[in-house]
Amino acid sequence: MQFSNLNLDYFSILPEIITALAGVILMLIDAFSKKAGRKLSPMFSLFALVATLASIIALWPRASYTASFAGMIVNDHLRLYFALVIVACGIIATLLASQFLDDEALPPGEFYALMMFATTGMLMMASAGDLVMVFLGLETSSIATYVMAGYRRTDLRANESSLKYFLLGSFSAAFLLYGMALTYGATGTTNIEGIRQILIAGKVIYPQMLLVGVAMMLVGFGFKIATAPFHLWTPDVYEGAPTLVTAILATGPKVAVFAAFLRVFAEGLGTPTAPAVGAQIYDNWINALAVMAAIGMTFGNIVALAQRNMKRMLAYSSIAHGGYTLIGFLTTEYAPVGFYMLTYALMSLGAFAIVQMLAREGDAKTEISDYAGIGFEVPNLSFPLAIFMLSMAGIPPMAGFMGKFYVFKSAWVSSPNLRWLVIVAIINSIISVYYYLYPIVVMFFRPPVSDFTKPRLSPMSQLALAITIIGTLYFGLFPNGALKVLQQKTPGAQQVAVQK
Amino acid sequence: MSSSIITITTFFPTVGAIVIMLYSIIQLRRGKSREEIRPHYRWIAFIVSMITFVFSLGLLLGFDSSKSEAQLVTKLSWIQELGVYYHVGVDGISLWLVLLTTFMVPGAVMASWTFLKRVHELMIFILILETGMIGVFVSLDLFLFYLFWEIVLIPMYFLIGIYGGENRIYAAIKFVVYTVVGSLLMLVAIIALYYLNTQATGVTTFDLVEITNNIASGKLVIARNFQWWMWLAFALAFFIKVPLWPFHTWLPDAHTEAPTGASVLLAGVLLKMGTYGLMRFNLPLFPEVSYQAAPWVMLLAVIGIVYGALVAMVQPDMKKLVAYSSVSHLGFIVLGIFAFTSQSMQGALYQMLNHGISTGALFLCVGILYDRRHTRDIDEFGGVAQRMPRYSTMFLITAMSSLGLPLLNGFVGEFLILLGTFSSTVPGAKWFSVIGGIGVVLSAVYLLWMIQRVLFGRITKHENEELDHLSIRERFSLLPPVAMAVLMGVTPMLFLKASFNSVDSVRAIVESQSSRAAK
Repeated sequence: MQFSNLNLDYFSILPEIITALAGVILMLIDAFSKKAGRKLSPMFSLFALVATLASIIALWPRASYTASFAGMIVNDHLRLYFALVIVACGIIATLLASQFLDDEALPPGEFYALMMFATTGMLMMASAGDLVMVFLGLETSSIATYVMAGYRRTDLRANESSLKYFLLGSFSAAFLLYGMALTYGATGTTNIEGIRQILIAGKVIYPQMLLVGVAMMLVGFGFKIATAPFHLWTPDVYEGAPTLVTAILATGPKVAVFAAFLRVFAEGLGTPTAPAVGAQIYDNWINALAVMAAIGMTFGNIVALAQRNMKRMLAYSSIAHGGYTLIGFLTTEYAPVGFYMLTYALMSLGAFAIVQMLAREGDAKTEISDYAGIGFEVPNLSFPLAIFMLSMAGIPPMAGFMGKFYVFKSAWVSSPNLRWLVIVAIINSIISVYYYLYPIVVMFFRPPVSDFTKPRLSPMSQLALAITIIGTLYFGLFPNGALKVLQQKTPGAQQVAVQK
Repeated sequence: MSSSIITITTFFPTVGAIVIMLYSIIQLRRGKSREEIRPHYRWIAFIVSMITFVFSLGLLLGFDSSKSEAQLVTKLSWIQELGVYYHVGVDGISLWLVLLTTFMVPGAVMASWTFLKRVHELMIFILILETGMIGVFVSLDLFLFYLFWEIVLIPMYFLIGIYGGENRIYAAIKFVVYTVVGSLLMLVAIIALYYLNTQATGVTTFDLVEITNNIASGKLVIARNFQWWMWLAFALAFFIKVPLWPFHTWLPDAHTEAPTGASVLLAGVLLKMGTYGLMRFNLPLFPEVSYQAAPWVMLLAVIGIVYGALVAMVQPDMKKLVAYSSVSHLGFIVLGIFAFTSQSMQGALYQMLNHGISTGALFLCVGILYDRRHTRDIDEFGGVAQRMPRYSTMFLITAMSSLGLPLLNGFVGEFLILLGTFSSTVPGAKWFSVIGGIGVVLSAVYLLWMIQRVLFGRITKHENEELDHLSIRERFSLLPPVAMAVLMGVTPMLFLKASFNSVDSVRAIVESQSSRAAK
């Protein structure tokens, strides 16, 4: 498929433009006035992110499968929805960041700038229509987050976390890149829609090479979404990074990688009826992912049972949640993944936000036993944390339940082959209840520790917390709006492709 | 107005909970001390629960007992994308259970009066629990039902975990994990049912009434082995909740550790969610399989009856004794449900109410002694009747109603169940009925023995010489259930009439399929 027309549609990359520009401006603000920067940077970041949000909504009516920039950017509903979630995560993280930076006396300017660049990268992943673009987005966001993970420079744990994240991140990026190169070699194009066309037409040049390439991409993506058996970096990185950064790592990038993953696999390689190697590849990656989902859930949940550190527990729980999401992924629809990521992002951000507030300076108190008896000392933190835990455990009326329910329902309806996975997921949910209840037990049912002092809460953190709680309850009780948005399909995506 | 009465009854307690929350925030902001406003929470909760009871009486007024289907229905679209409706209504089965709930909650609030710490949270939990419990009984949408079913879990977990006894953490976690095991498997069955219904009819809906009708009219035919799986998934959730032997082990722990108010609600209402579920879901949705499974379920039920009674007999702890007596009594209810005769099922429903009232009252009685002596060991008491004559009378009546003395409520239920089971066509039903009869005798043994050791005889411990008389609050918490036990024992038709048609329609569904199942 040739793109004779470059189609330089700048409006379609407005969200990326805004965040990238904002990142640059934030660095300039910091360079010119350090003092004003502390006050100005968070406000400006928020402003920029809200503007991004507005630009995404403005792009909504233009959603179509026409690719711009020679097929690099696709502006369909998948992109727009995931961009919305990514920016929402960014807004909540920004709200939380100001207190973190103040409490720890860390320089604010770079942090906000890095966050903007990371967001840019994530948005690029969501809008990528080309493997090259996927990689570009992934690296842009990764490099920013590597730095953020080590943002508390004097802290050894944070350094270790950052280094580990960087090494394993690069390693996985290499896999991904190699896979992309092989795919390019085998099909002659890096355009995702193009690859799909070639598979459908049965014109793959080197089928064996394509198999290897796809397998390597699967490994690369597996690393990035931290599903078993490629999850090993997660607990250490999540534990060592400053809690706020963990919150960011666990949500935004994951959402974005899932978007790109959907684009490449569910769309590009979602060719069950293609001749020869096309169908074979489809079967292979579906089966591989099904196994990865089952292992991810089971491993994440079982190891989480043994955790006594809140951040590590949440890290393993996020591996398990990745597994649940993969079940939705296997339906090759974006709706279950999208909805699950939304609910997951809300409750994870909320939970990590509370962990951060309770952890104090230098993340001193992140053991679950540090929470003993605080239930009634700080009800404004303990009850929300209980809500997030119950939500993650999948107990209604919280959003986590609705996310799981939607994924299970979609999987059950979409294919009989996925039903065993739903059963595995249900058994996992039962296991997970036990460890999600543990913090609640400690907070509410144990006697309080004597040296507990109430943590400070800035208005912005309170706002962030309120958004996550209301979101968690809202999408648990009234998911209809979100589900409606997710049901929107870009009209004629398949037909357009075939006509070309 | 008349159609929204159910919604009002269901959510009024939640409104009350929010009021308490806001009240506490406002008053503490204004600098009032916690001690000063503590009584207010109790009163707000009490008044809210009483108003809820009055609302629920409105259900009775609007109810037409000549109909078998759900009445006072509200059906609103809730999650269109999934075919989930806010669909509530009551029929003859759920009507009485809703009333039982609203009747028990004021008692539970009064029983929780003596707590001095975390009072407003306690009241909030009880009120949210009430919403959940009513919701379970009135929902006519599978999804909505599941939602309420799980919501009940959270406040009960906190009630046991925060306000319970020494082993409360263990008991609370056990309670939740057991329930979740059952309910998540039920969730799979719900999804599967939804899927099959969608496939068969092309309508995406979780609406219970619609699905039940589709099954009854043959529009939705489920393969036999699939039916079995789904039946098992539903049944497991309900068996655990009931609890049927051998799924009962969470119950004694939960009861012993729970505070009195929570015990009252746990025994009085929560356990009925299980038996209600069997009647509402398993029987009409999978009549064939229900009929086939009936002998096995009845076997478990009678094992539970005898086992519960025998274990209750040797309990040194009054509360544990009552808890095991619940295992035994709930066995009767399950026995009655799966005998599929009009009498037995009516008796089962009646026994659900009886057990709620009698056992709730028994827990109140135990709680009253515990408040005075901070022990529940039977050995610690003796001769209580000399110090607390009024209390002893009430305790005695309650125990008698629980063991099935004629002219008290328990007799009616157990008699109907045993009679109905004896005339049932389910294989082996006669034997089960006979063994069940032994259970009645055993329940007389353990309850009377406990009464004798606790209330009568000489005062052996000097601490018991100074026991206080019943306070006004305690009297008012005990009087309604005791009066109700007498009323229900004397005029059962008053209650049975309203439920007859609904119960009979469930029986008819099973019977119409039983011939097919027998093949």
